[in-house]
Amino acid sequence: MTYGAKHIGEPILKVDNITLAFGGVKALSDISFAIREHEILAIIGPNGAGKTSMLNVINGFYHPQQGRIEFRGVERRTMRPHVAARQGIARTFQNVALFKGMSTLDNIMTGRVLKMKSNLFQQAIYWGANRREEIAHRQTVEKIIDFLEIQAIRRTPVGRLPYGLQKRVELARALAMEPDLLLLDEPMAGMNVEEKEDMCRFILDVNDEFGTTIALIEHDMGVVMDISDRVVVLDYGRKLADGPPDEVRANQQVIEAYLGVSH
Amino acid sequence: MNPIALRFGFWVLAPPLLIAAIGFGLQGLAAANSALFFTWGFFLEVLLAGLLQGVLYALVALGFVLIFKASGIFNFAQGSMVLFAALTLVGFIGMGLHWTLAFIVTAGVMVLLAMVVEKVVLRPLVNQPHIILFMATIGIFYFLDGFGQMLWGSDVKMLDIGITKETTFILEGVFEGGILVNGFDLVAALVGAVLVAVLAVFFQYTRVGRALRAVADDHQAALSVGIPLKTIWVIVWSVAGIVALVAGIMWGSKAGVQFSLALIALKALPVLILGGFTSIPGAIVGGLIIGAGEQVAEVFLGPLVGGAIQEWFAYMLALIFLLFRPQGLFGERIIERI
Repeated sequence: MTYGAKHIGEPILKVDNITLAFGGVKALSDISFAIREHEILAIIGPNGAGKTSMLNVINGFYHPQQGRIEFRGVERRTMRPHVAARQGIARTFQNVALFKGMSTLDNIMTGRVLKMKSNLFQQAIYWGANRREEIAHRQTVEKIIDFLEIQAIRRTPVGRLPYGLQKRVELARALAMEPDLLLLDEPMAGMNVEEKEDMCRFILDVNDEFGTTIALIEHDMGVVMDISDRVVVLDYGRKLADGPPDEVRANQQVIEAYLGVSH
Repeated sequence: MNPIALRFGFWVLAPPLLIAAIGFGLQGLAAANSALFFTWGFFLEVLLAGLLQGVLYALVALGFVLIFKASGIFNFAQGSMVLFAALTLVGFIGMGLHWTLAFIVTAGVMVLLAMVVEKVVLRPLVNQPHIILFMATIGIFYFLDGFGQMLWGSDVKMLDIGITKETTFILEGVFEGGILVNGFDLVAALVGAVLVAVLAVFFQYTRVGRALRAVADDHQAALSVGIPLKTIWVIVWSVAGIVALVAGIMWGSKAGVQFSLALIALKALPVLILGGFTSIPGAIVGGLIIGAGEQVAEVFLGPLVGGAIQEWFAYMLALIFLLFRPQGLFGERIIERI
């Protein structure tokens, strides 16, 4: 699927020679790639290839031993989660990480934390600027709720929702941050065909309507080939391939990594 | 009818009705059993003393609630924080500082302690299961316990910051002999009420409250939306430390500053179960119920079973609550997928 009008721009994020090790285990060795503005990049690879580690490096949960991360022209040795969030990197998690006791609405509102400006005292008494601000943010959040079609579960505690919907709420929380770069860790894992189709549609719409750059990890090859502009393949912490879906699909090394080689 | 008005009405009407019902029940019992004794004046006096004692329980319970709200962990060290704060305060007063100045310096020490705890204990354990953090607080308990006594000595110290201990009789016209009230208890109640009001306003359900709950639910997710985990932990542990200091002052001037202060945490546990681990008003309501309940039971029902009800009454009440309302009176609803 291609968008005729879609304009893929310059790299928004570059990782250079990233090496990450846990003790003696090398999770990532010497990985370099770029994510370009407005594109959908899929990171694929067999289990244990280092895909999630890569996302954790990008948003600062892991600090690699070597390498550099450049986001919007600013080069850093390592990222920090708080800085990443403030700079406009949002993410979702492989095993849904929501605030289980809170309602859908409150979960999404936490995504607005960094956008709120009123000071602590005003927040405490919930008056004046803070009240107006809360209402303004609520409007933004309601738009996202409409966009992702989760109006009906607005007040439901998320711990009570089925898995597919929890994943959608998690996406909503990430969108509430109005990110420039959205990292999705297996957004379609454990979903049925219908839920997967919905999620694909949402991802494409987000990319299309807001111009958000998206990097996603996914195992469903059908989905990957359909929605991504470019694919990076990892295997045992190394980069095997990097290119448009068709090119990657034909790559001999990739085929071997997925299907095994006969000796 | 407006549900909010209905709820408000319930909370205004329920306590006096409950108290009256208990009073009439006890009166009936006393009429039937010659071992028991009951007059309304005496009942109210015992009730009041119990309520004021309950405020002191609530002061300790508050510290637990704060940390539980912001991290989902039961801070085993809260009791030793009370002891440590009281010891430090007495130590500074012993150096010749006026108690107000000593209070400020000790509050500073508690903030410093919060920073150290965050850096040395909490930060390396980010994203670990709650039980790991809980065990870490057991470590903090023993460390503070020993460290405080190493710094300031382990003998029993008196703490006197000039709170009146005089007793007066009130309502002498209404009841025969009037009702005996301890001035110290009244001051404690006032301090407790102010503290609860300030904290309840600050941590109420707006952005601060939401951020706290988020941190308690999932560290990684909270970080990913840009909630400053470290700052929140330092603030909450600092506030819990200052609350511990206030509790330490109140308990210390009542019973002397000594090791047993660290164990009043055990009395806070049933208060938390009653009020709900995550509710600031719950801590005060739970404290009042436990305090009043155990005094009234001891005085009016004690003779039936040979006394010493006060020792176990709170825990029995907590057990009953665990069976029928495990989240406590004001705790968050327990979420289950069905």
